[in-house]
Amino acid sequence: MVEGYIPTSLSDALTELANHPYRLVAGGTDMLVQHHNLKTLPINFKQDVMYIANLSELQGIQEEEEFITIGACEPLESILEHPATPKLLKDTILEMASPAIRHAGTLGGNIANASPAGDSLVPLYLMNAMLEIQSKDRTRRVDIKEFITGVRKIALEPNEIITKIILDKIDFTKATFRKVGPRRSDAISKLSFAGAVTIQDNLVMDFRIAFGSVNITVVRHPEIECQFITKTVQELKQNKEHIVSLYREYIRPIDDQRSNKEYRKQVSLNLLRQFIDTI
Amino acid sequence: MSDISKSVRKTDAAEKISGKALYVDDIKLDHMHHALTVRSSIPAGLIKNIVLPELPDGYYSVGADDVSGKNVVKIIFDDQPIFPTDKVTYLHEPILLIVGPDKAKVKELVDQVKIEYEETKPVFDWVNSAIHYHFEKGDGNRVFRHAKKIISYDYETGYQEQAYIEPQGFIGYLDDDKVTLIGSIQCPYYVKNAVIQALGVEENQVRVIQPSIGGAFGGKEEFPSLMACQLAVAIQKIKQPISMMYDREEDMLVTTKRHPSKIHFEAAVDKTNQILGFQTHVGIDAGANIGLSGVVLSRSLIACTGAYTIPHLDVSGDVYLTNTVPNGAFRGFGAPQMYFAVEMFMEHIAKDLGIDPLTFRKRHLAKQGDKTSTNGTFRDPIIMEEMIEKAMEISDYQTKYKEYQDPSSHKGIGMSWFFHGCGFTGSGEANHIKAKVKLRKTKDGFVHILVAAVDMGQGIRTTLRKVVAEIIELPLERIIFDFPDTDFVPDSGPTVASRTMMIVGGLVARAAKEMKERFQEIEFTVQKQYEQPSYIKYDEATFQGDAYPAYSWGINIVEVDVDPVTYITKVLGSWSVYDVGKAIDERIVLGQADGGLAQGIAYGYLEVMRHENGVLKQKNMTDYIIPTAMDLGPMETVLYENPYAFGPYGAKGVGELTLVGGAPAVTKAIEQAIKKRIMKIPATPEYLMELVNHG
Amino acid sequence: MAKITFQLNGKPVQLDTNPNRRLLDVLREDFSLTGVKEGCGEGECGACAVLMNHEIVNSCSVPIANVINKEIVTIEGFSQTHRYDILRNAFEEEGAVQCGFCTPGMMIASESLLNKNANPTEEEIKIGLSGNLCRCTGYNMIIKAIQRAVKDGDGTW
Repeated sequence: MVEGYIPTSLSDALTELANHPYRLVAGGTDMLVQHHNLKTLPINFKQDVMYIANLSELQGIQEEEEFITIGACEPLESILEHPATPKLLKDTILEMASPAIRHAGTLGGNIANASPAGDSLVPLYLMNAMLEIQSKDRTRRVDIKEFITGVRKIALEPNEIITKIILDKIDFTKATFRKVGPRRSDAISKLSFAGAVTIQDNLVMDFRIAFGSVNITVVRHPEIECQFITKTVQELKQNKEHIVSLYREYIRPIDDQRSNKEYRKQVSLNLLRQFIDTI
Repeated sequence: MSDISKSVRKTDAAEKISGKALYVDDIKLDHMHHALTVRSSIPAGLIKNIVLPELPDGYYSVGADDVSGKNVVKIIFDDQPIFPTDKVTYLHEPILLIVGPDKAKVKELVDQVKIEYEETKPVFDWVNSAIHYHFEKGDGNRVFRHAKKIISYDYETGYQEQAYIEPQGFIGYLDDDKVTLIGSIQCPYYVKNAVIQALGVEENQVRVIQPSIGGAFGGKEEFPSLMACQLAVAIQKIKQPISMMYDREEDMLVTTKRHPSKIHFEAAVDKTNQILGFQTHVGIDAGANIGLSGVVLSRSLIACTGAYTIPHLDVSGDVYLTNTVPNGAFRGFGAPQMYFAVEMFMEHIAKDLGIDPLTFRKRHLAKQGDKTSTNGTFRDPIIMEEMIEKAMEISDYQTKYKEYQDPSSHKGIGMSWFFHGCGFTGSGEANHIKAKVKLRKTKDGFVHILVAAVDMGQGIRTTLRKVVAEIIELPLERIIFDFPDTDFVPDSGPTVASRTMMIVGGLVARAAKEMKERFQEIEFTVQKQYEQPSYIKYDEATFQGDAYPAYSWGINIVEVDVDPVTYITKVLGSWSVYDVGKAIDERIVLGQADGGLAQGIAYGYLEVMRHENGVLKQKNMTDYIIPTAMDLGPMETVLYENPYAFGPYGAKGVGELTLVGGAPAVTKAIEQAIKKRIMKIPATPEYLMELVNHG
Repeated sequence: MAKITFQLNGKPVQLDTNPNRRLLDVLREDFSLTGVKEGCGEGECGACAVLMNHEIVNSCSVPIANVINKEIVTIEGFSQTHRYDILRNAFEEEGAVQCGFCTPGMMIASESLLNKNANPTEEEIKIGLSGNLCRCTGYNMIIKAIQRAVKDGDGTW
């Protein structure tokens, strides 16, 4: 039988993980769907699991001068309600799930799940989120881009746990998240988009674009973005179609039960155009 | 006398709110066993061999060899086996059951069953016609010779899943030698009669009981008979109580859905821009069995003129068999497909002729005394003109329509007109159903309604009690309507076809009148049986005559905004006006109106289900998208009274009417918003983008 | 097996069970709380909604291991409260109940919403109900019921 281990503290969890591999379960809102079983039967996990949602060390939101840290198992709803949470992330959480999912689901879980349709990943890529990862013997930090390596693939060692998500505090002039789903709420995205820009004295000082659900991971290309830094707003806008063309090759969506690749591609680029238009 | 339309609290609301109402999966029996189904893994082929794992003590397999009666599910068309013997005709077709006390063990055994097939080439194209219908009105297609102009278009509609929130399920047990089944069903006697035939037993050896039902919408009309037959065979074999519950995914993969359709329309138009005639062909995809498909097709064909009078018709249709999951009953029953097509066609004809669609449609609107598509007569008053004015007034249709004609507008407003024939098509009530109802007065002065009508949310437990209470002049609390149990209630027919209040309620009202006259008697029972109004004559073979005893009428108006960046349709609001004869309870009718329209609008723009090589791509509630509270905007409904002489207090059908007009109303609105023609539903953002790009 | 202790409808409970079970199954099978329904089993429909520490969660998506030391309230527990009476009355008066299968979940969603926001706008009500599917009503009468409860229950939340 598949075992379920319920640690009493983070150090208990890390010690146990050092000795035995477990699949980690946070809020369970996605894991339980993926390991769905017939009703009344135990969850259909394929390997032993460890339940980390209630570890107090993984809760909480701290605001520092330069950044905020979010406990990996802090429920999405609490992140939404916290005054220090960046607006872009709040907007995303509001769109990404129903209240019931927000109360149980966690940001760490959404990251580790590494779904191409994971909505929170899009703003997290945009904000250059760092993850703090702990094992019994060490603590390390990794950029979310390095952490997510493919469709549901992450660079997490079997003895590690994501403990914190660290976000820079940035005051964008404009930051937008758009989710395109099959209905207005409570649905998995067909695609999503996030854009952010900082303007000083009519000059673009920061310009960031990210797309979700249109490639194996979130599409973000700083080398494209930096071409437009220190351009004027007008120059940026004049370059709209050029920018669209630069992103075009990286938007490589698939056909599936929710949408098709033509739609995903065209609408992703439409949202980029709209974002530039409204700067 | 008080007005019966005045709303009361629903009989069952409090127990449902509290969670105390028992649905089938809430009922626990001692020693309950669990039945799980072994299903085919291919869409078409021959079963060469079935290898079972070694079954531990107390575990059983149940299959075709165990069927002691006839191995056919009794529906209308007897072409579905209870368990297949030699061939497989669709993916996930049930082959056999594994039954035992521990569900986890049963599941493990199911996974170990090996079936060897000889695969055959599956058919997914619509080429095998199992039923072909054809009828004419007037000069048929010969009128096309006189046409000044012929306009022709093709329309398509997709699957729709009923998506009742409670999945299908049964429990059953042996009571002496009587097989007793409790299930989530619409039609206790369909189930009972099917099980009698399957087991080859006497009528008194099968009992079917209805618990609370978590929605049905047609999905629990004929499908449960298949499950019930399988479960009954298992109960007969192992003589233990058994639970057979479908999880959502199994339910969505294997239960019946609304038939996808392809509808071809040609119109002959004369030099005054009046339609002389239609030539129409309707193809529907039955899936692997005919089942109810022929009846679905006929309702679709009969609705081919929409709410209009067209003097000459040539109408044909085919039921195609494919190696896909069988399709079946769904609220509207063939009419929603046709109303989408005919309403869009009328719009498209007008646009081709360069005439204002509203003016054009008004000129063709059916009136009292007109001939129906089957040469019957609209005998009762039709008050559509007045209703249309009302609908336009409450929605501010004219102003909005004019404003949204602006090429830069992303908004649109659409209006559909429709009727729904109440009750079974043709002579079904008189020849096939022969409904019986009973009222019993008991010594303590209570009156029991004994009918097989199922309350699946539509409120019949409340409304029938109101009818009886009002007629006998008793307080509502003195009228009892328990859940149907075939050991105690007569066969009043299935709970389908918008027939329950009009037909069953009509009979109950007649019984109540007699009971009132004899009320001084201490304890007695009154029984009534359906008699067709003598003027109704219909020939099922030729589609000639009065297809329905009465018609309910309606108008839906839907307003939308289509985002030019994402092509997503946002429904801003909807307005409806209905003639349902007389509302037996106004709030219940308004609730039906909201819910039916929600399903109808969503059918038009939101709900996507399709198969690829027989594999359904949307198989759970995550992927099959139905509206949430966020999606549909406010709804306003106005009811008109137009009593029908044979319905109780003049009531006609409600349930299906409220669905059938939703899709064309929303697609007309979208059409105006994007200035392109909608030819198929669902009108998804992907389709709208394609239209905007190329169309 | 694991020892799981939590508060259920106001009472402490303890059970020795497989931690890899869903809260939904524990409630229905071990405690016979069948007002908690399974509609989809994957967190989409909300028929299995319960309150966990006063907030709505889908019990089909919560492993029982995560419930340790939490307060769980099902419709059976909620129905013992004054707030329930106000909502029940409003649901009945506004015709918010048809087949009833989603209704206990809708009541839980309403309580979770009003507990946090005693005077929600129509849009906030819709967001509050957005994880609870109803196939019968088209939602309007449920929304009206919550608006009525807000009015009737003046100050209750």
